[in-house]
Amino acid sequence: MEIRAHTTNRGILFLLAGILLASSLVTPASADTLEEVRERGELVVGVKTDFPPFGSISADGENVGFDVDLGHAFAKALFDDENAVEFVSVTSGNRIPFLQSNKIDIIMASMTITDERAEVVDFSEPYFLSGSLLLVPEDSEISGVDELNGKTVAIIQGSVQDAFVEERAPDANRVKFGKVSEAVLALKTGRADAYVHDDIVILTVAQDNPDLKPVGEPFEPLPYGIAVRQGDDEFSAWMDEQFDKMRADGSFDALWEKHFGDIKDNLIKPDSAEQG
Amino acid sequence: MNFSWIAVWEGLPLLLEGAVLTIIVSLVAMLLAVVLGMVAAVMSQVRHVIPRTVVRIYVEMFRNTPLLIQLFIFYFGLPQIGISFSPFVCGLLALTLYTAAYNIEIFRSGLEAVPKGQHEAARATGLSPLQVSVHIIIPQALRISFPALGNNLVSLIKNSSLVSAIGMVELTFMANDISFQNFRSFEIYGTAVILYVIIVLSLTRVLGVVEKRIFARNT
Repeated sequence: MEIRAHTTNRGILFLLAGILLASSLVTPASADTLEEVRERGELVVGVKTDFPPFGSISADGENVGFDVDLGHAFAKALFDDENAVEFVSVTSGNRIPFLQSNKIDIIMASMTITDERAEVVDFSEPYFLSGSLLLVPEDSEISGVDELNGKTVAIIQGSVQDAFVEERAPDANRVKFGKVSEAVLALKTGRADAYVHDDIVILTVAQDNPDLKPVGEPFEPLPYGIAVRQGDDEFSAWMDEQFDKMRADGSFDALWEKHFGDIKDNLIKPDSAEQG
Repeated sequence: MNFSWIAVWEGLPLLLEGAVLTIIVSLVAMLLAVVLGMVAAVMSQVRHVIPRTVVRIYVEMFRNTPLLIQLFIFYFGLPQIGISFSPFVCGLLALTLYTAAYNIEIFRSGLEAVPKGQHEAARATGLSPLQVSVHIIIPQALRISFPALGNNLVSLIKNSSLVSAIGMVELTFMANDISFQNFRSFEIYGTAVILYVIIVLSLTRVLGVVEKRIFARNT
């Protein structure tokens, strides 16, 4: 009895190891997603649902935001129907796995272009430039990222700020959450002394929460891009074309004004984003 | 994209670090949940209606609500009314209370499974009601319920992954953290799965050994 139970356990481990080994031999087929999307008649986009004004959920349950409107614009360009698009909720952490496992065609989720990410996905040209900002309680004395040593700092798991804070305040205690709403809650309940994230989301959250305030100058400005699977060059080129068209006919500026009008003075200007 | 053994190798030290916390949290929570479960199960057998009702309400509250919500109440909710525990205590508390609710039911059925005659015979020898409980009924009930605790331990270890949501750096948190940075989801989660299997099999084995040690002399 004893011996048999033992071999069963070992058998399970061998089986698991076998699965891992077997999967190392499988490679997915190369993608032509743009063609696939055209045949399907619908674009499937990964967007944030907790990151206003880029992607959030409205009171009546609709996806709204800058990224969402871009998705509608792309659907209109593809199928002449701005509603031929399905939005899938993603987070900073899971959006690349969602793309890699073909659950979505593209990521339009306020995604910063970094070297590490560019190794596993391809990006469109930049469409926004975002720095990082601190959000602190209204009565806090923290005024910059250099003062975070020894403090508890809320971070979004998988965001670029994880590395920034580690670099600039190595003695800060970083607490990582999956969603913006949880990080804000941590700040409000005294779980964290500060929350560091993209300037745009910090400014928007601060607008809605008078008990919190943004502090410091935006640091480490980095561009946002739309991510496609590696090898989907045609798709990213198509998107760059759309951006050119939208900038030429003024619809890009209109979107900018619609979503960032209230806080644009605190943002890094869009002209610099165009230079990429 | 190919399978990368390097990703597994590089992720392993951090994953093991997370696994240690998973083991610690699971073991401590189980220990506390066993003690709490026993005490509450005995309380549920008392003739007086108040302790019985209190235990009933507790069991139904904790068994019929999601553990994640309980975690959020301890972590985000309590500070709002002025009570703030560290993340570790919040996680431990939620896991303990949740698991204890299940343990109570196990111990309760164990207590009820001891034949009535045992109680009557013990009383007839002149033992007090308390002595009957401590020396006759509870030891037998424990032996009956012990095997069922193994299932609860397995659930507890798996449930402990939820504390990653409040920033506790256990195995699931580490797996998320690493794969969010190197995007090697399959390798990293696959390794985490194997580690969980090893943890569950080892800890249930430990429980089995404990069971044998405790009850060997009586069998």
